[in-house]
Amino acid sequence: MSKTTDKALNLMRHLPRVCLANIRDNPGSGKKRSRGRAQHGGDYHGAGNKGSGQRQNFMRLGYETGNNPFYLRFPWEPYYRGHHLRRQYPPLSMLDLQKLIDTNRIDTSKPIDLVAIMNTGLYRLFPDQRQFGVQLTDEGADIFCAKINLEVQWANELVIAAVEKAGGVISTAYYDPHSLQAMVNVKKFFERGVPIPRRMMPPPDAMEYYSDPSKRGYLADPEKISEERLVLAQKFGYSLPKIEDDPNYEMLVEKKDPRQIFYGLHPGWIVNLKDKVILKPQDEELLRYYAS
Amino acid sequence: MSCKYEKEEGNNPKPVPKGPENFRLHSAASNLSDNVKSVMEPRTIMYPPKYQKLSQVWLENLDTIDEKKLGLLELHPTVFATNPRIDLIHQNARWQTLYRYVSYAHTKMRFEVAGGGRKPWPQKGLGRARHGSIRSPLFKGGGVIHGPRSPTPHFYMLPFYTRILGLTSTLSVKFAQDDLHVVENLEIPTEEPSYLEELVKSRNWGPSVLFVNVEDIMPRNITVATDVFKHFNLMPVYGLNVYSMLKHDTLVLTRAAVDHIENKIMQHLHKNDTRSVMAKYKVDQA
Repeated sequence: MSKTTDKALNLMRHLPRVCLANIRDNPGSGKKRSRGRAQHGGDYHGAGNKGSGQRQNFMRLGYETGNNPFYLRFPWEPYYRGHHLRRQYPPLSMLDLQKLIDTNRIDTSKPIDLVAIMNTGLYRLFPDQRQFGVQLTDEGADIFCAKINLEVQWANELVIAAVEKAGGVISTAYYDPHSLQAMVNVKKFFERGVPIPRRMMPPPDAMEYYSDPSKRGYLADPEKISEERLVLAQKFGYSLPKIEDDPNYEMLVEKKDPRQIFYGLHPGWIVNLKDKVILKPQDEELLRYYAS
Repeated sequence: MSCKYEKEEGNNPKPVPKGPENFRLHSAASNLSDNVKSVMEPRTIMYPPKYQKLSQVWLENLDTIDEKKLGLLELHPTVFATNPRIDLIHQNARWQTLYRYVSYAHTKMRFEVAGGGRKPWPQKGLGRARHGSIRSPLFKGGGVIHGPRSPTPHFYMLPFYTRILGLTSTLSVKFAQDDLHVVENLEIPTEEPSYLEELVKSRNWGPSVLFVNVEDIMPRNITVATDVFKHFNLMPVYGLNVYSMLKHDTLVLTRAAVDHIENKIMQHLHKNDTRSVMAKYKVDQA
């Protein structure tokens, strides 16, 4: 107990009983009403005195009183081309991730994916705003020491090296917006009572990234990934821990199917939270549709 | 009191319990003497505090007029011995009175006042001020400018954690001022109102008492006994609120109610999806 609290509670014992008649807010916490004429205290209603403020004759947007305006001087801004179509990957630093692990918000004994990160309640993602998942940034890579099986949506070389140096496994995986929407609030998704969707394949422009072994893409050849792990270890100059000898080997190599969204749950299943049952499709056609 | 107790610890490692005062505030179970340990009631505490001592309260009885102490209960200091924020208590009490208050004060504007359609006198030639209506706000009996309009609701929502801290502050104040009592249950031997009156009087529980139970169906005897008194009230734990606690001098909680309150508040203080409850309260406007 803090000293202040202790003092305050001791003081309470010698003070009259706190009741409705003797409580008040902190002095100065409320807004004081100044006396004025009419509703707004007799001022100019925020418009100021005379001129364009009062008369509302503002210049049109972009007009620079006779100069050649900016939007005409530089009519072509190629760096904005297609900005409304680009994929965004909101950042999460390795320092943040380490902190989430150290404060027991993430369980490292299980594979960590977007669902685990969202469930901490400390990372926000809006798939409807063209955000496509976590970008793990390298801030704090030098102190990262958790041995984890991590799946993110975007990671650079240094991040991959930091995770692998600590004895972990990292992969980058693509999720389409519908799958992401199910992952950001899993409980809400299950309560909708719809089947778990089939995860879509990456669009053509993302295909290259997600099948690149040096990016640890989830569609890359596992053989080539293990080669790349060695290459990266040599590049950064660390000895690659042998995950084959690790007691948690099973967990570390656990991977999702390219069509799978949640660990342990397959597309097409319905999770009924109320009756605590999982409904699996039986129909041939459905099985064929949801098959990987 | 806790200061006094802590001072005694140095030269007298086994303090003998004399009255409720000695053990009202925070002493660790490990420092307690054996005969105190024997009266300790078993209780599981959610999220036990790391750096604070647990508070203690006597478990009392209601089945005799004279007070019997049935044991000691440990309470979570985050709920029952937190900083007594009088400002938060005030904000809660104010909110509770205001959110349901609708002001029906009403004045008429110039178009609502009867009459006044005719120009009272010609514009020119009389030497009088020009006027178009006898119900203009300049006239006696005319419309009112910026007057109160009915109905004016004063509904607003207090932030969720202000409400939570209001509860913990009030409980702590009640506990620190010896106005909080914990009983095993609300069973009393008779439904005679005089029994309860005498009990409250002999225990100095102040004129008004609020009995809080977990279930909203109370034992029959206490229901009948409190029925004739307007200052003895029964409340289920889900209705517990700052205003009612302040309105009554003494708060009597059942043991189950203490568990319920503590668990509920600790859950809210430790959950990670606070964003949904912290979101701005939306009034459904059709």
